[in-house]
Amino acid sequence: MSEVKYLNVLRDSLVILDFEGVRKAAEAAMRAGIPPLKAVSEGLAVGLRIVGEKFERKEYFLSELVVAAEVMKEGMSIIQPYIKGGGGTSSGSAKGKVVLATVQGDNHDIGKSLVATLLRASGFEVFDLGVDVPTASIVEAVREKKPHILGLSALLTVTMPEMGAVIKELTTTGLRGGVKVIVGGSPVTKEFAEKIGADYRAVDAVNGVNRCNDWVSRR
Amino acid sequence: MERLSEMTYRQRILATFRGERADKIPFFHLWRRLQTGEAEREARDKSMGVWWQRPCYTESMPHVDIVERRGPSSGLGTTLVEYHTPVGTVTERLKKEPGVGEWKAQRSWRDITPWAVERRIKRPEDYEVVKFMVEDTVYKPDYFPIEQAKDWLGDDGVVIANLPHSPMQMLMIDWVGTPNFFIHHARYRDKVEDLFNTIDRRYEEMYKIAAESPADAVIFGDNLDGVLVNPNLFQQYFMPCYEKCAKTIHENGKLLISHFDGRLGDIKHLIAKCPIDIIEAFHPPPMGDLPLREALDLWNGKVLLVGFPGSVYSLGTDAVRDYLISLLRTVLPGDRLAIEASTENLVSDEHLVLLSRALEQATLPLTEKKVNEIEESILKRPGRSEP
Repeated sequence: MSEVKYLNVLRDSLVILDFEGVRKAAEAAMRAGIPPLKAVSEGLAVGLRIVGEKFERKEYFLSELVVAAEVMKEGMSIIQPYIKGGGGTSSGSAKGKVVLATVQGDNHDIGKSLVATLLRASGFEVFDLGVDVPTASIVEAVREKKPHILGLSALLTVTMPEMGAVIKELTTTGLRGGVKVIVGGSPVTKEFAEKIGADYRAVDAVNGVNRCNDWVSRR
Repeated sequence: MERLSEMTYRQRILATFRGERADKIPFFHLWRRLQTGEAEREARDKSMGVWWQRPCYTESMPHVDIVERRGPSSGLGTTLVEYHTPVGTVTERLKKEPGVGEWKAQRSWRDITPWAVERRIKRPEDYEVVKFMVEDTVYKPDYFPIEQAKDWLGDDGVVIANLPHSPMQMLMIDWVGTPNFFIHHARYRDKVEDLFNTIDRRYEEMYKIAAESPADAVIFGDNLDGVLVNPNLFQQYFMPCYEKCAKTIHENGKLLISHFDGRLGDIKHLIAKCPIDIIEAFHPPPMGDLPLREALDLWNGKVLLVGFPGSVYSLGTDAVRDYLISLLRTVLPGDRLAIEASTENLVSDEHLVLLSRALEQATLPLTEKKVNEIEESILKRPGRSEP
């Protein structure tokens, strides 16, 4: 089988969301001596891009995006050991660092977890602080992890102001300039995001991840 | 005070439920979100009814040992619940309705089920344990909460029998959680479907209990969002359950309501085909993604209960006023529609009174002229009435 065929099988197994298929394809590619980085960039990553295009065309839905990210992970678990120095999405090679949290008083986790999954699949290093996270803990994580992006989630109008409190505290502590702040959650409007000084309000998980990709590509 | 020519709050809401023209657009607040005091009295004297969801059954698992732990070893502020069954153990971590001095999330927690911060199904082997729990569950009718609420409310509102999330939503939201559910559904489809089928079968008993209850109608508290529940999932796992439930509910002369508070644009045509009579917590943009007029036209035989968007409240009184007027212009002549103060959380006194004062004048059929008059009246007297 030619190199292109190995790469195409990898790509296609990701597109059809085949866990078993991607494992077998990755094992076969590695056995055949396909360069591991090529297997990722011209096989799995191409498949992931096609899944994204299918999502844009509404042939696939959010569930398929999430599963594709997991299939990618499955394939990577086979290929990763062949990449010298670890490779993949460890902090050294990640395209960017993101800290995520649902703000204090709010226990909604679905939107934030989706964003975390999709960001990881996109190659970001993600620090997910969880739900109901106090402002001080979020600010401390920004200080410690030095992320490029901070993502804040709130699903309640009564907890939305906590997003503003976080941004205010980042400003007070001199950390605001070093981090982009993206906010999301169904009641969070563009106007509210502007009012509290966020850099962007994501309308949904995919829109948020796309914006993060834009930001890091402009760095 | 009610005038003799007017319907009572209860008559108004029930007429709208049945698709009949009421005297005015019903406006109500959820009992569990409702303040107590001056603003409540003023709003209720004007136009605000009460919507009270009550349980209609009790449940127990005679062959499952349940151990609850609280404290530093199990996570501060949460309750670790262990379910020990003959086929294995699962655990979940819950935040329960708080007491004094505890976490409260600035919400009213009356009648709220515990919040799972760690779900019971984490691994493939957990499905068998949870299936045992579902099989072991005994449902017993208990109509006292409904009878009591009806007795207390009288003509001030309606009492609705509460059903939990529908079977697949129970897995997606409560027991597996998203995004894990999507991954489990792809990797362990047989296990997911086996448990789904078990829940679906066992729920039939619950439907019957709810259908035979003295409640005014029955609600699936489904929290549906068409971005998470895509058209394929909806068609395969949700519609058959709604059909089954509706059949039982309708056979007993009741109406079926479902709590669809998310984005519904992607599944709007499928919803049109569902035998659900009333879509509750419908959120138009900016929180939802389906315009109200389009929903009313598309779901021709259904009644819409519109949740006033929380994001609009957060923009202040002018925004609330503008949004309400725009909403009223959109729905002319105003049939098949009611407005809920908020399905999400608390509403300020000022906003509650503003809405109740405006909607007191929303007589049916609503006309452009009447909306103009409503707009004029609430512009003149913003906020609470003077004492």
